[in-house]
Amino acid sequence: MNLSAWTEIAPHIPVLLRGILVNIELLLGLISLGLGVGVVTALVEVYGPRPLGWAAGAYTWFFRGVPEIVLLFLFYFGLSQFGVPVSAFFAAVLALGLRSSAYQAQIFRGALQSIPHGQMMAARALGLGRVKAIAYVILPQALRLSLAGWSNEFSSVLKDTTLAWGIGVVEVMRQASYIRARNFTLTLPIYITVALMFLVLTYVGNVAIGLAERRLRVPGLEGRR
Amino acid sequence: MKNVGVALLIAVLLAGGVAAAQPKYVVLSDIAWAPFEWVSEKGAYLGFDLDVMRAIAILEGFEIEIRDTPFDSIIPAIIAGRGDIGASGFTITDERALVVSFSEAYWNSNQAVVVRAGSGLDLEKIVSPGRILGAQRGTTGSFWIEDEWVPLGVTLVEYETYPEAILDLLAGRIDAVVQDVDPSKMAVLQYKGQIEIAAIVDTGEQFGFLVAKGDPKGILPKIESGVAELKRTGAWDLLIEAYFGPALGAIEAAWEKCIPILLVERDPLRYAQCLVAELKP
Amino acid sequence: MALLRVENLHKRYGHEEVLKGVTLTQEAGETKVVIGPSGTGKSTLLRCINRLTEPDQGQVWLEDLEITSRRSDINQIRAKIGFVFQDFNLFTHLTALDNVRLGLTKVRRMPRAAATDRAMAELDRVGLAAKAGAYPAQLSGGQQQRVSIARALAMDPKLILFDEPTSALDPELIGEVLSVMIQLARDGMTMIVVTHEMGFARSVADEIVFMEGGVVVEQGPPEQMFRSPQIPRTGEFLRKISELYGESS
Repeated sequence: MNLSAWTEIAPHIPVLLRGILVNIELLLGLISLGLGVGVVTALVEVYGPRPLGWAAGAYTWFFRGVPEIVLLFLFYFGLSQFGVPVSAFFAAVLALGLRSSAYQAQIFRGALQSIPHGQMMAARALGLGRVKAIAYVILPQALRLSLAGWSNEFSSVLKDTTLAWGIGVVEVMRQASYIRARNFTLTLPIYITVALMFLVLTYVGNVAIGLAERRLRVPGLEGRR
Repeated sequence: MKNVGVALLIAVLLAGGVAAAQPKYVVLSDIAWAPFEWVSEKGAYLGFDLDVMRAIAILEGFEIEIRDTPFDSIIPAIIAGRGDIGASGFTITDERALVVSFSEAYWNSNQAVVVRAGSGLDLEKIVSPGRILGAQRGTTGSFWIEDEWVPLGVTLVEYETYPEAILDLLAGRIDAVVQDVDPSKMAVLQYKGQIEIAAIVDTGEQFGFLVAKGDPKGILPKIESGVAELKRTGAWDLLIEAYFGPALGAIEAAWEKCIPILLVERDPLRYAQCLVAELKP
Repeated sequence: MALLRVENLHKRYGHEEVLKGVTLTQEAGETKVVIGPSGTGKSTLLRCINRLTEPDQGQVWLEDLEITSRRSDINQIRAKIGFVFQDFNLFTHLTALDNVRLGLTKVRRMPRAAATDRAMAELDRVGLAAKAGAYPAQLSGGQQQRVSIARALAMDPKLILFDEPTSALDPELIGEVLSVMIQLARDGMTMIVVTHEMGFARSVADEIVFMEGGVVVEQGPPEQMFRSPQIPRTGEFLRKISELYGESS
């Protein structure tokens, strides 16, 4: 690749940054949705009554089994069929967020199950109800144990946000294709630039999670697994 | 940029003022296929299809909102009621006509076979056993290779986008790329001296605008009448002259300068004349 | 009225009946030591008392409150019954102080400052005020067990159940835990202790209960149990256990 391609790409960087901002918005939306729903799903799977547990299992099975792009179509086109014309952005957050919740539920479920039964017993013996025991004793430990797996999920869903273009969300890959459409010769430099942007985002995200991990670290908790 | 912004703002305000009286249609287009539709360096939607739709809207008294949508999703979106008009260089095919309704053809587009410059390949050598041909998935180029040439021993490689196919051609991984003539000419212009058009295949391919099956909103008659009016005044041919030939950067500059005539003064003919005048060397 | 009454308690795991009708009475201030071969339902008995394990049949009364009644608020009852586990079960993610404080703030809804004072006082009582900020993993087994005793004490329990509190400890750490327990007994705490520590049983217990095969075989004051057991099997077990574990206190 020659140097001129790189000088040509410089003016397009702001456009690409505007695009990746949309990816970041998607990411924040979908990962918080996934976190909330994922934790609840995992709790239901591990501690809920049988039938609810089965329902949660079926839920994760569905969202893990269906390809992302199909989920995007289902939510974008499907919901409008039922008279709920959600925006493409919202449909993307919903589809990718619920999908991520299924994966996050797996992570949390594993963490919950790795907490020794004695912790729950000791909490109940103190007079804590089931919900309080989970809130004050089980979850704080499980969430810490989940951080490592969670940082994988973070990197993975960050990349998934590029799929949102499939239903028309103009994110960074789409911005890239705008530039490419009017300047074929920039195809490769643009992809490389986008790749760099994602690498930086992944790095920053993982550093942030690493910091959180260090801040929340409790002696003896991580080593137990 | 500032001027365009102001002009667009005025246009939006004006449009808002008459909104109550006029129906509004959502136009879906995969806006990355110059010169039919693309996004300018400054982020504006332009191109032949889009300006034609804007001009028709003005002539026929409706409003449009242009929404960028992946090509493969446009027909599903129109079926699902998430858009009203597909204006994205759609080839009229029997399969598509089963699920949507097409306007009269507005464009004849044949397929160009692009090869590496100096490869010495002609159509006969290209369509022979062992050759590997590339095309964008879901386009006529890809259907043509599949239906006509694969039985003759050619291998088809499909790409998500046309530029990717060209990159693979340059890398020597495929022997030729089949794509509509106009985008192909543009690619040849950009990769000057590296690729060339070896042959043009008359597929009899025609483009049409499309709407929901059976045209429940009665949009097609408005499109037909708008196209007829553009052709009658000569604006149609001027638009063709402006969009097919000049470099994209030059078109963008002319468009920025002239677009208020279309959007604010709402005069398609003078707009087309302005474009052509701006693009004269 | 007795502080605790256990009447005809039954518990079955699958085909195996672990408790086959156990009846006990515990007076306030009494220290009862439950002994017997492993697998004879001693731990299950303790867990059935505060319903960490649901008994299949029988009743447990704390003063005039039926613990086993479906209508009673089990969390309120458990808050009044301390439980010390064989493997401590300190909350791994909390410091010693927070371990002791959790029940105070979340169950007894004590204001944070008051809870901190109380928790520090209990840590001091088991000799670990200096370790208040340490996490369980930073403490020795003996220290962890003393924190878990402080955790139980902080709740002002009417009764503390000890489930083999020294069995998971290295021999050199057993003494510090036992001495805390001896002091508790002297202070008049009501305790039921499942243990193999015969020295502790002999010197501290008001009554020794010998269980085998899911039933109480014999019970009585230590003097009687060690010197002149009524049932030959009791004497046999006591001899064997004393040889095995010695009398380390």
